[in-house]
Amino acid sequence: MKKNLIRSKYMATIIAVFSTILFLFPVYWMFVTSIKPMSAIFAIPPQVIPQDVNFDAYVKNFIDNPEILTYFGNSFIIAGGTLVLTLILAAPVAYALARLQIRGKGIVMITLLIAQMLPSIMLALPFFILFSKMHLLNSFLSLIIANTTSSLPFAILVLRPFFMSIPTGLEEAAALDGCNKFKTFYKIILPLVKPGLLTVGSFSFLFAWGDLLFSLILTSDKAIRPLTVHLYTFVGQHGTDWSSLMAVATISIIPIILIFIAFQKHIVGGMTSGSVK
Amino acid sequence: MYTIFANGGGILMQTETQQTPLVKKAATYKKRKTKYAEKLGKYMFIIPGMTFLLVFLIFPIGYNIMISFKDLTAMNLLGEQKFVGLQNYITILKDKLFFLSLKNSVVFTGVCLIFQFIIGLLLALFFNQKFPGRNILRSLILMAWMIPLVITGTLFKWMFAGEYGIINHFLLWVGIIDQPVQWVSNASTSLYSTIIANIWIGIPFNMVILLAALQSLPEELYEAAKVDGAGRIRRFFSITLPLLKPTMFILIMLGIIYTFKVFDIILIMTGGGPVHSSTVLPFYAYERAFTDFNFSLGATVTTIMLILLILVSSVYLWMVRKEEQE
Repeated sequence: MKKNLIRSKYMATIIAVFSTILFLFPVYWMFVTSIKPMSAIFAIPPQVIPQDVNFDAYVKNFIDNPEILTYFGNSFIIAGGTLVLTLILAAPVAYALARLQIRGKGIVMITLLIAQMLPSIMLALPFFILFSKMHLLNSFLSLIIANTTSSLPFAILVLRPFFMSIPTGLEEAAALDGCNKFKTFYKIILPLVKPGLLTVGSFSFLFAWGDLLFSLILTSDKAIRPLTVHLYTFVGQHGTDWSSLMAVATISIIPIILIFIAFQKHIVGGMTSGSVK
Repeated sequence: MYTIFANGGGILMQTETQQTPLVKKAATYKKRKTKYAEKLGKYMFIIPGMTFLLVFLIFPIGYNIMISFKDLTAMNLLGEQKFVGLQNYITILKDKLFFLSLKNSVVFTGVCLIFQFIIGLLLALFFNQKFPGRNILRSLILMAWMIPLVITGTLFKWMFAGEYGIINHFLLWVGIIDQPVQWVSNASTSLYSTIIANIWIGIPFNMVILLAALQSLPEELYEAAKVDGAGRIRRFFSITLPLLKPTMFILIMLGIIYTFKVFDIILIMTGGGPVHSSTVLPFYAYERAFTDFNFSLGATVTTIMLILLILVSSVYLWMVRKEEQE
């Protein structure tokens, strides 16, 4: 009986490993394509396990062509800027919506819920017109603003429950000790919602890192261009140079994998809390 | 003294100990002032964020609606535009391509939703068991959802490639097809190749949400059902499914909203083609605005989308509220 139970437990692991491998096959295929020589890419039948490995695609696209590092840096500036701006704006609002008596709370919440669902094109179009009138096209600022607009509603909605779970009375105690509202917020409340801030921070970074539409519409200058737009134009120019494409793709998801590994717990939490409630 | 009590609380304590009428008056004034300050302080928390949203979210949407009644194109972008009333809406509603895109959007959303949901549910049920390595494997699956859509799109384009794509090889090997299919460049299959890519992206999301819901179900119910002799399948249909219903409804609503706005995958994989066979509504709006440079027509399409979105999300909000009340 006990033996049976153990066997079924490992059976479950084996099935789970198998289905995970099957599910993640595309990611494996991306990596494998990037390290195959040209001849092997078009081999029939395809080599599921590569026979000889070379890193020509990486040399060609990164070492011989350091321009890509600029795009990499640009992506970091845009995603990092979005992260910072989102956190600065979202945390106080979420706190106020959770803990303070504010008029019109209901309307604000519903607006945020709907805003979170807006298609990017619905914002990208007016942004293009307004930013071109304000001479803001081709600037990091325009992209940071655009990305913050789409992550801010989500950030507020995810952060609010974190503030709500802080025990009441903390603010009063801090007030008795002579802290004003702002000092209480920064010194006492914020450190308590660190997990929430990590969740929101990782999401807003990842959203901005993956954005294509805003960057495509709001920039034409190579000096501002992020990695995603580079990959998009690359597909257009070198449609069948699959090993190069996959090498660039592989490198661009490395930061994502690192963030994911570091903040995995928070990301899973954010997905379930922010999207359902 | 004052240097020690440099903050508001210190000053108040100081005034309360004094008893002369004038100081008392000053004290109540100060109290009233702090009350106002407090009220203002409260709103100081939401003013920066709300101002941002007002300027960069509400205003652009309003502006977008406004230009749908004008004739704004790349030609008169910085000049004067005149009001044309409902002309843009008439143009769009007379365009056959609009209805084709609407149809494609409905097919795209519907098929994606069904498969994402079913596969997500199966995975969630499976991962709801306790077995070694469960959390790591679940996280690995989730990673697929975090990959930027440009990359996923490029990757699936490569896998769907005609001669050398792995999917054709597999299907040939299994014997489902007897010659390579030009998935992406064939009008009858292009939409479905983007659908398959999008299903792959959506599975982890559905799985995680359903798994979280499954894990919150009360275990005692299952124990009781077991005692009563209910089998696995019976327990699923009599306990799991009814209890999961609210989450399922919300997930489907969110699925509709999120899938309806998919744009990147289409742009990368098919560019809406060939001959508009994979043009969905957001892509149709994008083309009006940034291929034809007729911004007003683009704004008209996105305004129509906004109306559809509000309709769907009111159903969603109504359900969330209902669930919260229960």
